[in-house]
Amino acid sequence: MKNSKFWFSFFVGPILFAFIVVVIIPMFMGIYYSFTDWNGIGNTANWIGLKNYIDVFKDKDFLSAFIFTAKFAVVSVITINLMGFGLALLVTRGLKISNFLRSAFFMPNLIGGLILGFVWQFIFTKAFDSLGRLSGLGFLEGWLADPTTGFWGLVILMSWQMAGYMMVIYIASLESIPESLIEAAEIDGANAWERLIHITIPLVAPAFTVGLFLTLSNSFKLYDQNLSLTGGGPYNSTQMLAMNIYNTAFKFDDFGLAQGKAVIFLITVAAISLTQIYYSKKREVEM
Amino acid sequence: MFKSKKILALVMTVIMSMMLFAGCGSQEKKEVSEGNDKVEVNVFQFKVEIAKELEEAVLAYEKEHPNVKINIQTVGGGDDYGAALKAKFQSGSEPDIFNVGGPQDVKDWANKLEDLSDQPWVDLALPGILSGATMDEKVFALPFNIEGYGFVYNKGIFEAAGIDVSKILDYKSLEEAVKTLDAKIKSGELKEKYPLLEAVFEYPAKETWVTGLHTSNTALGQEFSSSIEAFNAEKVEFKYGEGLKKIVDLQANYSSNGDERQKLNAVDYTRQAEEGLAIERVAIIQQGNWVYGKIKGVDEKVANNLDILPMPIEGAKEDCIPVGVPMHWGVNKDSKAEVKAAAKDFLNWLYTSDAGKDYIVNKFYFIPPLKGYENLEPKDPLGKAVKRYAEAGKTTPWVFMGYPTGWGMEVLGNDIQKYLAGEVTWEEVVTNTKAQWEKMR
Repeated sequence: MKNSKFWFSFFVGPILFAFIVVVIIPMFMGIYYSFTDWNGIGNTANWIGLKNYIDVFKDKDFLSAFIFTAKFAVVSVITINLMGFGLALLVTRGLKISNFLRSAFFMPNLIGGLILGFVWQFIFTKAFDSLGRLSGLGFLEGWLADPTTGFWGLVILMSWQMAGYMMVIYIASLESIPESLIEAAEIDGANAWERLIHITIPLVAPAFTVGLFLTLSNSFKLYDQNLSLTGGGPYNSTQMLAMNIYNTAFKFDDFGLAQGKAVIFLITVAAISLTQIYYSKKREVEM
Repeated sequence: MFKSKKILALVMTVIMSMMLFAGCGSQEKKEVSEGNDKVEVNVFQFKVEIAKELEEAVLAYEKEHPNVKINIQTVGGGDDYGAALKAKFQSGSEPDIFNVGGPQDVKDWANKLEDLSDQPWVDLALPGILSGATMDEKVFALPFNIEGYGFVYNKGIFEAAGIDVSKILDYKSLEEAVKTLDAKIKSGELKEKYPLLEAVFEYPAKETWVTGLHTSNTALGQEFSSSIEAFNAEKVEFKYGEGLKKIVDLQANYSSNGDERQKLNAVDYTRQAEEGLAIERVAIIQQGNWVYGKIKGVDEKVANNLDILPMPIEGAKEDCIPVGVPMHWGVNKDSKAEVKAAAKDFLNWLYTSDAGKDYIVNKFYFIPPLKGYENLEPKDPLGKAVKRYAEAGKTTPWVFMGYPTGWGMEVLGNDIQKYLAGEVTWEEVVTNTKAQWEKMR
C-alpha cells in the first residue's frame, strides 16, 4: 500500500505538475482577465469589476450563438448516437464485410476538422448546386448561403465525422453482451425488436452514457468545422459559441469580454455535461 | 519508514517535474549564444501574394550582409493576420518586423512600435502617403505600396458587346453599360465568343472585407477626407448612403445570383476572381490591382486584357477609384538594439537600393510609395491603370483603416449580408451601423 503511494507520485507527479501549469493556472489567469478591460495587445489591463459579465448578457450575438449551439447540440446528439448505434448493430451481425465496414465508417474521424469542413463546403456549394441544377430540385442549391441549410450542413458534417467514433464505443459494448442472454430470450420467443429493446439496449446503457457525454461536449465546443464550413456566415447566423468568443477577442480586440464569455461557456458546458452524466448513470443496469 | 518514503516521493516528484522543463531551458540558452555572432531578424508579414518573392529578396540581402539572418513568416488575409499577430505577441515570440494597417492599428500597437522618423525613406515618401502611419508627428511605419481598386473588367467582352468604355464616367453611364451588357448576355449574343459568360458581375458577399471595407469605402472615402479623419470621427453620417446602396444593388442584381440575392452570401473571393473573371464567366468584379497575379495564374491572356473602371457614387465625386496604402511595415520597439538596426536597414535596402527597387516593382508588382522609382514603371495592366488614375487625380482615399476595430467587416459586412438576404432594409443597415460606430468609438 505504502509502495503504491510512492509509485503514484512518481508517475502522476509530473503530469499533475504539467496539468497545473498549462490548465489550472491559465484558467485562473483567464478568470482574472475576465474582470479587466484588456485589449489583448498592451500590458495595461484595468480592473473593471463585473462589467464584462453584465455586457455578456446584453450581447445579442452571444445569445443567438448560444441558442444556435444548443439547437445544434440537441440535434447532433440524437443523429450521431442513432447513427453510431445503428452502424454498430450493422457491423456486429457477422457479415463478411464487417471488418471493411468498420474501418470505412471510422475513417472520417481520422481527418482533421478543418479539412473536413472544406471538403464538405465543396460538396455543399459545388456538388449540391450542380445536382440541384441537373435534377431541378431547388432545395439543393445555395446551401451555406442560408441560415437553415447552414445549420443542417453543420449537422450532416458533424454526424458524418463522429458517428464512426461512437460506433466503436457501441461495438465494444455490444460484444460484451453474453450470448447466453440473447439465446435465452430467443428461446422464450422474443423477436428481434423485443430482444433489442429489452436485452441489448439496457445492457449497453453505460456506452450510451459515454456516447452522449462525448457528443454533447464536442458539439458545444465545436469550432474548426464551424470555421471552415460556414465561417459563421451568412451574417453570423451560424456562429457557434466558441467562434463568438474567438471573434470577440481577436476581431473586436475585447479580450476581457471574451474571457467573461469563456468563463460562462465553461460553467455551462460543465453543468450540462455533469447533469447528463448523472441522469444517464441512473439508468444503467447491472448485469 | 513511512515518512522517509513520503519525502522520497516528494523529491522524486519535484525532480521529475524539473526534468520536464530542463529540455526547454537548455534550448533557450543555445539560441541566445547563436544570436551573438549572427543577428537574427524575424519578420511576420501578411501579403501572401509576395511570400515567395520576398524570400528571394531576403536571400539577396543576406548575400550582401552575411552577418544578418532574416526569417520570414507569412499569414495571409487581412483579419487572420491581425489575430495571428496578437497571438504571436501574447505567446512571447514577438517578431522584430510586423505589419500595421492604419491609424487604428498604429494606436493599438503604439507601445510596441519603434519611431522611424529618422529613416532615409521618410524624405522620399510621396505627399500624404505617410499620414496613416504618423502619430504625434512621428512616423511609425513604412508603407508597403500603393493599391487601388475599382471595377476590374475584361476589355475583350466590352469590345465584343460594342460598349465604349471611354464614355463611362459616372454612375448613370455605368448603369447604362451594365444593362446593355446584361441584355446581350441574356440574349445569347456573346455566347459564341465567350461560352462561359453568364453575368456581368460577381459579388462576393461572403468576403466581408470586400463589402464591409472596400465597397463602403467608396462612399465613406468621400465623407471623410483621410483615414485620420475617419479615425477621429465620433460618428458616421452616411452622407452618400444612397449612392452606396446603388453600388451594392448594381453588383448584386447583375450578378449570376441576381434573382436570388441571398445566395451571394456564399460567394467567396476565389469564386469571384479565379472562377469568375479569370475564366470569363463574368465581365466585371470589384477588386484591386492585387488580383493581377491571381488571374494570371489561371489565364495570362485574360489577365493582360484587364483594366479598371471607376466606382462612381452618385451625388459625389464620380469618375474616380479609391487609392491607398494597404499595410505598413513596423519595427518592434522592444527588440534588441542590434536587431532593430538590422531590421531598419533591411527595410531601407528593400525600398531604396537598386536591387530592392527591382524586387518592389518587377517581382512584387507593387506601385511604390516612395519617390525615386522614375525608371521603373508598373508592368501589369492593373498597376498601370491605378497609376493612370492617381496621376490624373481621379482618386478618393482609403479610410477603412480608420474605422473602429471590427466595425467594417463584422458590423457593416454582416449587415450587408442581411440586406442581401432580405432580412433587413437598407435604412435599417444605415441606422444600425451608425449606432454601432458611436458605441465602438
